[in-house]
This record gives sequence, C-alpha cells and structure tokens, in this order.
Amino acid sequence: MIKSLDPRITRAEIDLENNIEPLRDLDQWETYEVFHQKRRGDQHMHVGIVHAPNAEMALIFGKEQYGRRGLSVNLWVVKTRDVFASDYDDSDIFETVPEKQYREAGGYKVMDKINKYKKGL
Amino acid sequence: MNTEAIKELLYKMADDLLIIGHRNSEWTGLGPILEEDISFSSMAQDKIGQAQALYVLLNDLGEQEPDTVAFTRNANQFHSSQLVELPNGEYDFSLVRHFLYDHADQLRFEALANSSYEPLAKVARKVKGELKYHVFHANTWFVKLGSANEESHKRMQDAVNLAWNYALGMFEESKFEDELIADGVFEGEAKLKEKWLANITPLFLKAGLSIPDGNTWAPVLGGRRGTHTEHLGPLVEEMSEVFRYDPTAEW
Amino acid sequence: MYGNAYIDPNDKAAMMIAGEDPDKLAAFEARIARGEKIEPKDWMPKEYRKQLIRMIEQHGHSEIIGALPEGTWITRAPGFRRKLALMAKVQDEVGHAQLLYSAAETLGKSREAMINDLITGKSKYSNVFNYPAYTWADACIIAWLIDAGAIINQVANAKGSYGPYCRALDRICTEESFHLKYGHDNVVTLATGTPKQREMVQAALTRWWPPIMHFFGPSDKISNHTEILMRWKVKMASNDDMRQQFLNMYVPKIWDLGLTLPDKNLKKNAEGKWEYTEPDWEEFKRVINGGGPCNAERLAVRRDAEERGRWVREALNTADSKYIVPLA
Repeated sequence: MIKSLDPRITRAEIDLENNIEPLRDLDQWETYEVFHQKRRGDQHMHVGIVHAPNAEMALIFGKEQYGRRGLSVNLWVVKTRDVFASDYDDSDIFETVPEKQYREAGGYKVMDKINKYKKGL
Repeated sequence: MNTEAIKELLYKMADDLLIIGHRNSEWTGLGPILEEDISFSSMAQDKIGQAQALYVLLNDLGEQEPDTVAFTRNANQFHSSQLVELPNGEYDFSLVRHFLYDHADQLRFEALANSSYEPLAKVARKVKGELKYHVFHANTWFVKLGSANEESHKRMQDAVNLAWNYALGMFEESKFEDELIADGVFEGEAKLKEKWLANITPLFLKAGLSIPDGNTWAPVLGGRRGTHTEHLGPLVEEMSEVFRYDPTAEW
Repeated sequence: MYGNAYIDPNDKAAMMIAGEDPDKLAAFEARIARGEKIEPKDWMPKEYRKQLIRMIEQHGHSEIIGALPEGTWITRAPGFRRKLALMAKVQDEVGHAQLLYSAAETLGKSREAMINDLITGKSKYSNVFNYPAYTWADACIIAWLIDAGAIINQVANAKGSYGPYCRALDRICTEESFHLKYGHDNVVTLATGTPKQREMVQAALTRWWPPIMHFFGPSDKISNHTEILMRWKVKMASNDDMRQQFLNMYVPKIWDLGLTLPDKNLKKNAEGKWEYTEPDWEEFKRVINGGGPCNAERLAVRRDAEERGRWVREALNTADSKYIVPLA
C-alpha cells in the first residue's frame, strides 16, 4: 500500500503494483463539438470538444470546461460524427476569381456620375 | 430578530457547505473521467465559496473571521450534518450524497431568498445559478447511472441505502425552530424536508431506484449539536494542518 | 503546467523524411514557411505527425500527473483564499490535459491509447512531477516556478505550426497567467512572513532547484534532426535558450525576496548570459527512466483512478456510440 505525502492517496489504499486491464475502445466515450455564445447578440463560436456519453452530459461538461470563467451565456453541443465538413484539400473552392465586383460594395461608384450630372446642370 | 437563532442557522448551513465542498474536492485530479473531474471540482469550489459567504455574515454578527472559524475549531464545534462528513467512498456514494444534499440545499436557499433576514436573502439570491447547475448535474448522473446497467443500478441503490438516514439527519430541528419561522427568517426544517421528498421522489422513479422503506427511516441526528462520526475529527485536523502550523502567520 | 520541451535527440534525422512525396513535402514546408497553420486533415510527413503526437501527448500527461504533487496539498491549503485557488489551479491542470489530449486526438491517437501508454509507463511526462511536495511551500514553489517554466515553453510552442495544438496552448497560457500570479503571491507571502514560513519556503526552493534546472532538458545536440523539427515549427526554441530566459526572468525575482539558490556559480556574466553549475544529467536520466522518488506512486495513482472510474464510464456507454477523430 502506498504511504503517500498526499493523505487522499494514503486513504485510498493503493497497491504500488496495481496492474489494470488497458482501457478499451470507447472507454472515454465519443466526442461532442462545443459551441458557445459569449454574449447575447454574438454568433456562437466553436470552442473545442468534450468526451461525453450523451448530449445532456456533453452540455454539463462543456459548461465547466469551456465556460467556468463566466465567458459564456449559451452553449450548443453536437456529436462530432454529425458534423459534415469540407476538406482542406478542397480549400481552393474558396478561391473564386477576383473580378466579381458586382457583389462587392466597392464595385459601385456613383460619385463620378453625380458630379458630372451636377456640372452639366 | 433573534441573533442567536440566526447564527445557529448560518453555522449549520456554512459548516455543511464547507465540509461537503472539502469532501468533494478530494476527487479533484482523481475523478472518473477528465470532463467530470472538472465539473465536480467546480461544484466543490462553489460550495466552499458559499460557505465563506455565510461565515462572512457570521462575522458581521460578531463571530470571528471566516478563516479562524473554519480552520481553528475542533470537530465538536461544527454544526454540520453527519451526512457531509462521511468519507467519499466510491463515485456512487459521492454522487448520491451530492444528489440528496443539493436538492435540500437548493430548496433551502430558495426559501431563504425571501428571508426577513436580508443579508442572508441576498446571499441566497446570488447562489441561485450555481445551485441550478449543481442540481442539473446531480439529476443527470443520478437518473443515468440508476438505470444504466446492473452494476451501476446496484451501486447507486446501495449508496442510497447507506446515505438515506444520514440525509434525513440534514433536517434535524434547531431549538430555535419556532422563532425562526415566526420571525420569517426561515420556513423550518419540517417544511423543507417535505418539499425535498416531493422533489426527489419523481427522480427516484425516473432512475429506477427506490427510496428506502418508510419503516426503516431513522434520521441520524446530532450533527447540528456537535455530535459527529469518527470521520470529522481527522477531516478537520487535516484541513487545518497548515493553518495551525503557524497560527500567527498570514497565509 | 508543463515541462518537457525535451524531445529525444536519439532519433535518426535521415529517417525523418524517408519515403515522403517530395512535392507534397515541399508544399507542406512552404505553407509553414508562409506562417500558415497545418490543420488535422492536411497532408503531413509521417514524422511530423509522430513527433507532434508524442509531444502533445507528453504535455497532456504532464498536466494530469502534474495535478498530483500540488494535489498533495489540496485538502490542507490554509484559509479560504488558498483553498479555493489551489482547487481551481489543480482543476485547470486537469482541464489542460483535456485540451491537450483533444489536440493530440486530431492526429489520430485515441485518448484511450494515450492513457494506456501513460499508465503502463510507455509514454513519458515531465520529469519534475516525479518529485514529492513535502510541505505546503513545495506546492507554492511548484505553482510559481514550474508554471513559470511551463509558460516560457508554452508561449514558444503556441507559435508552432500545428493549429489544434496552438489553439489549445493559447487557452492554456491565459490560465497559466493566473497560476503564475497565484504562485508568486504564495511565495512572496511565505518569504515575507513569519520565520517558520520563511524557513519552509527556503527549504522548498533548495529542494526544487535541481529539478527546475532539469526542467527544459539538456542542451540540444546540434543535429539535422533538430533542424528539421525547427523548420517544421514543432520545436520552437532550444532548451538552453528557454533555460536562459527562465533564469533571466526569475532569478532576480527570487533574489529580491532574499532567498538563496543552491548554486554558488549562478551569475549573469558580462555578455548577459547566465552561468550556472550543470545539473546532474545522470540523475535526470535515471528519473526519466523510472528511478525518481515518485515515479511508481504517480503511475499507480493514475491506474487506480482509471480503474475506480471504469464502472462509471462503462455504465454510460451506449451501444450506438461511435468514435470518430475530432475535427479541430
């Protein structure tokens, strides 16, 4: 039995040679992705994962692991396996050709026309 | 208002919170899985923080500083119920105690939020959110483990059987009971116990666990008057070991 | 809290990139050179993955084992303020383990496999946690100086190339700044307190100095291996640089308190570099390989905790649960 400096350990009467069976697959449960909202009005943001056996517990765990310093007002959890994600190998799908001024605010310049019109009056 | 009665109420609440918080903190770093370790530790911190807030009220009523009160008294000066001082045992017992205690705690503070003793009412309103989380945590674990598999069901039921009479001891009446009720400070232990039973009964059903048979109920009393099991002495001694190492020091 | 920037220098450099597709390798290295992060599903050299898993996993183990020496005093912390703060600090270490294991999982090693490697002794953790915390003051020295060392290491690593590890470290560093303040406050309180307090903090400092000098690991051997790890931004600073940085920041603060360090040769030379007596690196190796005062206890305690929690975890496992590698 371990005689430890830590009274908790001494009380637990732990054998130094306590070989145990290895943890099996899923011993630590599956994972949930955690999203939090910092303040009302903000978007929810991904903050990390928790291992949990069900959604309620994922919420319970997420609240303390990601919100224990009071930085959240709302949490979402979703099973990792339910997230459908794009592939980083396909990041080039976001590299659209730049000449799409028609959908940017900067693509609309009316002052030239207005000034010309005013001059012509 | 009867100051002695209020002090007695504050002492038993604060001592309960300190001792259960201390016990629960023993799991920190040793819990069944990392995520739960963190959650359980947060709640232990909340409990000790709540205890401190109540010792501050006692200090305002002329008692010694919170640190002195918490770290220099002997076991027989504690007014905590015997439920909270019992060793943690395995996680089943710790969870069951947490469930039984926190339901009572939440109801107690809920009632005190309307206390005529305003300083206490103020604390009670402040801890509402913490207690809601504690009870949500307790309920979820209690219901899930009660009905998960044969082993967990048996463990939880055994823990309930072991804890039950101690839990009833939480509602040990004070000699000031009538005055506290008459003054509108607190609604009284009898009423609290009734509400507690009403709250936990459906959760026992949901968990597939049984409340021990009424014939076997024998509340373990005495804690409120300083009578304790053999477990509180060593706990208090351990908790105050460093503090007492040099009582003149600031730590 | 963490130690072990130290990566085994015996690995063969030549093996590191053997068999890798040169185009993919070039694109990977170019991405890192541009200062971009690598994300979990990106192509990466096998050795990059292996080294990162080892490093992040060891870091995670160090957190969970690191909760034990300080946890030694969790039931005895003096006064409400210290009691609450120590609980919060040890809790943070557990939280850090959770974050780090999660980051390592994204590289394809399950948490179960990491825990198994920890409790069988196959995987290492920071050596300092194999030393005991004899008194309350030891816990205070750990909180201040070990966490200080950890911050130096973690701030450097947070600028590394692997996205999930950097994100975990950013969060961890924020919490470490509380630990450092808490630890410093404790040590200052003891050092400026009663004679008994001062005596206990000096004794603890003297005990912890050799493990602290070991903390960053021995001088790195200049090798191609190290060079590649630095190019890949896996290793962000040399062990000696980190040690110098630590000495520079903390020795003056220790001396300010009138405390003494058990090394007569410790001084800053004219070039601004710290000179010190080399710590006993044989002892360092002995402890890493299991011969320290607490190695056996630390692992037995972890095994016990896993075993006592097993029924809880098993009970809640549902038939339809399915593990997939976390996304980020």
